[in-house]
Amino acid sequence: MSTDWLNHHHGHAHSPVHRMPAVLKLGAALAIIIGTVIAPLQWTGWFVGVGAVLGISILLSRLPLIFLLKRLLVLSPFVLGVTLVNAFQPSARFQWQAVALKSGLCLLTVILVSNTTPFGQILRVLKLVRVPMLLITTIALMHRYLFVLVDEAERMRRARLSRTFVPSRGFHWRSLATVVGQLFIRASERAERIYDAMCARGWK
Amino acid sequence: MHIPDGFIDGKTALVTGALSATGVALALRRVKRELPPRKIPLLGLAAAFLFAAQMVNFPVAGGTSGHLIGGALVAALLGPSAAVVVVTTVLIVQCFLFADGGVTALGANIFNMAIINSVGGYIIYQPISRWLGGIRGRVTALAFAGWCAAVIAAIACAGQLAWSGTVDWSVGFPAMAGTHMLIGIGEGLISALVFLAISRTRPEMIADTSEQSRRGMGVIGYGLLLSLGVAIFIAPFTCRWPDGLEHVATKLGFEHKATPSLIHAPVADYRIPGMTWAVGATAIAGVLGSLIVFAFAFLLGRMLVPKKAPEPANS
Amino acid sequence: MTAAIEIANLKYRYHDGTEALRGITFQVAAGECVALLGPNGSGKSTLLLHLNGILPDKPANDASVKVLGETLSTRNLEAIRREVGLLFQDPDDQLFCPTVGEDVAFGPQQLELGDAEVARRVKTSLAQVGLADFAHRATHHLSHGEKRRVCLAGVLACEPGILVLDEPTSDLDPRGRREFKDLLRKIPATKLIATHDLELAVELCSRAIILDRGAVVADGVTAELLDDEELMLAHGLERPHILRHRHPH
Repeated sequence: MSTDWLNHHHGHAHSPVHRMPAVLKLGAALAIIIGTVIAPLQWTGWFVGVGAVLGISILLSRLPLIFLLKRLLVLSPFVLGVTLVNAFQPSARFQWQAVALKSGLCLLTVILVSNTTPFGQILRVLKLVRVPMLLITTIALMHRYLFVLVDEAERMRRARLSRTFVPSRGFHWRSLATVVGQLFIRASERAERIYDAMCARGWK
Repeated sequence: MHIPDGFIDGKTALVTGALSATGVALALRRVKRELPPRKIPLLGLAAAFLFAAQMVNFPVAGGTSGHLIGGALVAALLGPSAAVVVVTTVLIVQCFLFADGGVTALGANIFNMAIINSVGGYIIYQPISRWLGGIRGRVTALAFAGWCAAVIAAIACAGQLAWSGTVDWSVGFPAMAGTHMLIGIGEGLISALVFLAISRTRPEMIADTSEQSRRGMGVIGYGLLLSLGVAIFIAPFTCRWPDGLEHVATKLGFEHKATPSLIHAPVADYRIPGMTWAVGATAIAGVLGSLIVFAFAFLLGRMLVPKKAPEPANS
Repeated sequence: MTAAIEIANLKYRYHDGTEALRGITFQVAAGECVALLGPNGSGKSTLLLHLNGILPDKPANDASVKVLGETLSTRNLEAIRREVGLLFQDPDDQLFCPTVGEDVAFGPQQLELGDAEVARRVKTSLAQVGLADFAHRATHHLSHGEKRRVCLAGVLACEPGILVLDEPTSDLDPRGRREFKDLLRKIPATKLIATHDLELAVELCSRAIILDRGAVVADGVTAELLDDEELMLAHGLERPHILRHRHPH
């Protein structure tokens, strides 16, 4: 399966949106998201305004629309289920259209910001708002080694497929567990080597 | 069960945010105290592992996570506090980088998947694994705990959705609990199998980590948080099931004092006709289900770990 | 003249009891470039990890490893790590920061050099490895060769007098390998290079030590050792083509 979607569109780091300082972007995004969630549906002005801001930002950012649409339309079964239930529920305080609208606007905001801001800058903003160092380090390391581990997992999966001739259910689960277990072991060993590398350059 | 923005309302977001922040702060403090410096990078790598394992083996379009969480597994491997930090990290990265899970819903998602799933799972795992003993005991305990953790997290999620008025409890609870009683089977099974695979290749990794978690796990702190969570998101709704209880309460003049006024469910008395039975049925299914799942977990343990398997030194 | 590195009867056992190093003895003089050769499993990486005190888990204090005349002990571990720059085999293990600039800055920051000096060192080291405008690049998106060079920059930024490299050219394409070789040639530090790349050994290192099953089996002039076909084959190596054909490269 393709892991291409993992790669972001930071490539065009030339648009004004890309260049905007991360603190501003994240602050504005947060304000938009919180506002949208809290605002009652009657405040149409708010929603129109947010829509306009997002629309302009998308145009300025030069992110491909198809890319955005694809990200936006990915719906998990959970989301689908909840929306459906809500639609058939006379008692719900929010109708499904309201939920969908709010959700969509917030989603768009996050997709926009995350694709125009290098992750390192996001981390710096987290540090600014006093997120504990241990958590920031863990997030940084996760992001750094995400792709490494996904690659390893993908290679193991392909190797497993190459040697799977009889698709039996039980075998599938057992070999899956072996691969996942192996992934953890490798991750664990790599963590130790990283620690050694940190010490080698003077980490206390 | 990553809740997106807009599905839970402001007050729910605030309350869950406060609970999660407390829980994560607690976990971070414990990890700093108990985890040897050598293992600090392991937190980040374990988070990357969870993500990679979820994503590559259960490919779901475009990056929304598969349904498995993995909190109980990580708790069994690294201890409950480390698990909280690890799963929180995964959720934060998923939220900001992949828009999987809303920003305002982060508090709820962390509470459900990092705290309830990991700590709750561990609370169930630890005593059972101790009681049964050996690798077989751990595998059994993890299979069961994985299932329970998935179900309980789902119930809390339903509670939050109901509290926000998005999905009525009488529909949400049966739906979430019901689906996760099924999904939980996968969670429990995979957690147990992966744990077993690791213990077979690297038994010292298993022995290593469980040693740490024995040094007490902040029972009071976590216990309080979990109880609060249950009190806020589950109890007010469960108080509505037993018609009989209400009846008794009226008789004794307690009716309006039954539900604390502080925690006031928004859709007070409306019930979707015909759905109340579903709530009761789900509750019963849950109880029966847990017994059945435990029995299966026990059999699984027996099947996977033959009696002659070499037991690690400190089981 | 104090040797840069002095190893005397170094022994090491893995956790499962297998002997990894069985009494290793050799010296490296200041400014020398020595190749450490041997088949897989001979203990090369394990030996290298002893040079900056990562192994053994607790410093032995028994003078089996001396760097610049100082016995490795818990007290001088930090000072030793400042002097010995270790380049790990897998650049992904060593490149753990989100951006190139941050990673190269890691070492100098640990040395508490102050922001201005750290920035200067980052700039100089990146320029040294030919990646002058890479400071803002994300580490996970680099090519393998680029990762190796950033790792080298990160080590050079600490300005160590001794460079210890574990398989620096493995997994590099021919151009990457040539570029890296040229980079190494220009660095004046004392160098100990564990490698399977026999051509690299001949081109860069005046002296070679052959390790097999945890013991030193040969120590001498690179060209002479590597030309000894019997010796090479006996220890899982071979005579490199560069000597076979005697072309001036």
